[in-house]
Amino acid sequence: MSDTPIIRFENVTQQYEGAGNVLSNISFELERGKFYTLLGPSGCGKTTILRLIAGFITPTTGDIYIEGKKVNHLPANERQVNTVFQDYALFPHLNVFENVAFGLRIKKLKKAEIDRRVKEALEFVNLKGYENREIQEMSGGQRQRVAIARAIVNDPEVILLDEPLSALDLKLRTEMQYELRELQQRLGKTFIFVTHDQEEALAMSDEIFVMNAGEIQQSGTPIDIYDEPINRFVADFIGESNIVSGEMVADYRVRFANKEFDCVDAGLNPNEHVEIVIRPEDLEITTVADGKMAVTVDTQLFRGVHYEISTLDEAGNEWLVHSTKKAEVGSLIGLAFDPEAIHVMRLNESEDAFDARLEAYGEMANEK
Amino acid sequence: MGKLSKLGKVYLAAVFFILYAPIFYLIFYSFNSGGTMSSFDGFTLEHYAAVFNDTRLIIILMNTVIVALLSSLIATAIGVLGAIGIVFLRNRKMRNAMLSLNNILIVSPDVIIGASFLILFTMIGVKLGFASVLISHIAFSIPIVVIMVLPKLQEMSSNLIDAAADLGASKRDILTRVIIPYIKPGIFAGFFLALTYSLDDFAVTFFVTGNGFSTLSVEIYSMARAGITLTINALSALIFVVTLGLVVGYYFFNQRARTVGTGGQ
Repeated sequence: MSDTPIIRFENVTQQYEGAGNVLSNISFELERGKFYTLLGPSGCGKTTILRLIAGFITPTTGDIYIEGKKVNHLPANERQVNTVFQDYALFPHLNVFENVAFGLRIKKLKKAEIDRRVKEALEFVNLKGYENREIQEMSGGQRQRVAIARAIVNDPEVILLDEPLSALDLKLRTEMQYELRELQQRLGKTFIFVTHDQEEALAMSDEIFVMNAGEIQQSGTPIDIYDEPINRFVADFIGESNIVSGEMVADYRVRFANKEFDCVDAGLNPNEHVEIVIRPEDLEITTVADGKMAVTVDTQLFRGVHYEISTLDEAGNEWLVHSTKKAEVGSLIGLAFDPEAIHVMRLNESEDAFDARLEAYGEMANEK
Repeated sequence: MGKLSKLGKVYLAAVFFILYAPIFYLIFYSFNSGGTMSSFDGFTLEHYAAVFNDTRLIIILMNTVIVALLSSLIATAIGVLGAIGIVFLRNRKMRNAMLSLNNILIVSPDVIIGASFLILFTMIGVKLGFASVLISHIAFSIPIVVIMVLPKLQEMSSNLIDAAADLGASKRDILTRVIIPYIKPGIFAGFFLALTYSLDDFAVTFFVTGNGFSTLSVEIYSMARAGITLTINALSALIFVVTLGLVVGYYFFNQRARTVGTGGQ
């Protein structure tokens, strides 16, 4: 193992004719052997990053490095990278065995070795005994596995997965999330997974890059991103959030919904305008007397695991609450929450400044 | 398909009767021992014997088959590459222009193609005969092959090509291992269609053929002009049976291709 990042983007910009910037000045580094997810709405440029790494397109400006080597103009067929496509892109004229063997046959390996490696790969994805099936005879989930086997059989350094679970039904999708994660850990390869599904991203990744409009909004572990979203977009895209505007009164004191609350954020300008995020599961239903905030129950939905209760405070802000307790529509209830539940977001803060601020809290907490 | 009404069935039967009756009438009288098509005097195979005994006719038959096979083979090779070229043209306008130029050749009358080839060959001094017929048959077959191969190419997901490159395939590998196997049904369809077009072409061949070289359709035409003999009937019957065989063969090939190799999802 070496310390050079397996993949590095340096100020990469991608333009398509007449479509403006698909990627704007993207830079990042990926470490070997981790599970990365590019998460964002459709059209945010996540698939473009994948295609740049695979070598199907070349960046308009900027440089791409794989294992420290600049690969801007290295064609796709000479890169140590394999892709699992959204529609699987299996060859319909070849059977399962030949689909998986395709890359090895191109490399003109000996027949015995091809046999051994294809069998191994198929066993890896639990498709032993399916060698002679035609692709048309396979179900969606099985085709998915063939596509994965076809990628891993070539022993690439990086495996790119372009929304591979989006065509599967919910149950199979959840199953495949476990399998993919486990597969990545067994293989120890770098996986780069593209999705618009935040649950998939949170469940599988070591690190998530949240993207929007051709820019990386925030990167970090699933927990970082969920608990400390950098801005409104990330907070809204990952999980459900109550986002309201407020002001920093002083360090550890924030004002929103016409009230002042204790919080854990500091180092902002006094009276700075900020946005407040509180996750619905951090709000607890209680009596008006015990609550920090009094709200009126507007609507209530039963979601299985919990009730999703929409409430309104006096200032007219909507507060979404996830609770296992039922509330009565139209009644006045209290909402309780810890100071830690309040997440303060500065407007237009860069990712570096945001990270520095978060680190500063840690030090302050230690000093206390 | 829903059930046809009674009127529909009668109409359909009438149409097919009108289409096929002359052919069966012609075939029927090819077995007539009398020399005309007015009265059936008795069964005979002598007209067929006459066809096979006429070495000139056999040579013409061979010419026709050789021209058809060669021209459709060469046209298929050129047409397939042309279709691939057209599909992968980045420039939309250019692609549409190419397609239009291709389609104009299909719809333009054979007489015009034949006449223009005649002018071309005489201008550049190509001797009229086997070569001129072969070249013109290749020329009018290429657009047919292109039009048969294009739909298959257009239905192919571009991800397949990306996937092949991703797995290490060079441009040449992609062509021989992915694109051509994928469009194979289209290639065969194009080949067979070109073959039948070449076999029964009259107008173009009539213009560009010279002394000493003739194909069946041209020969039958001149025989018919010289006066009706039942040898023509026998020859036509043979051609009809062969064509029928080709169509049936093509149908079975297509059936097999459909069950084994339907593309994608």
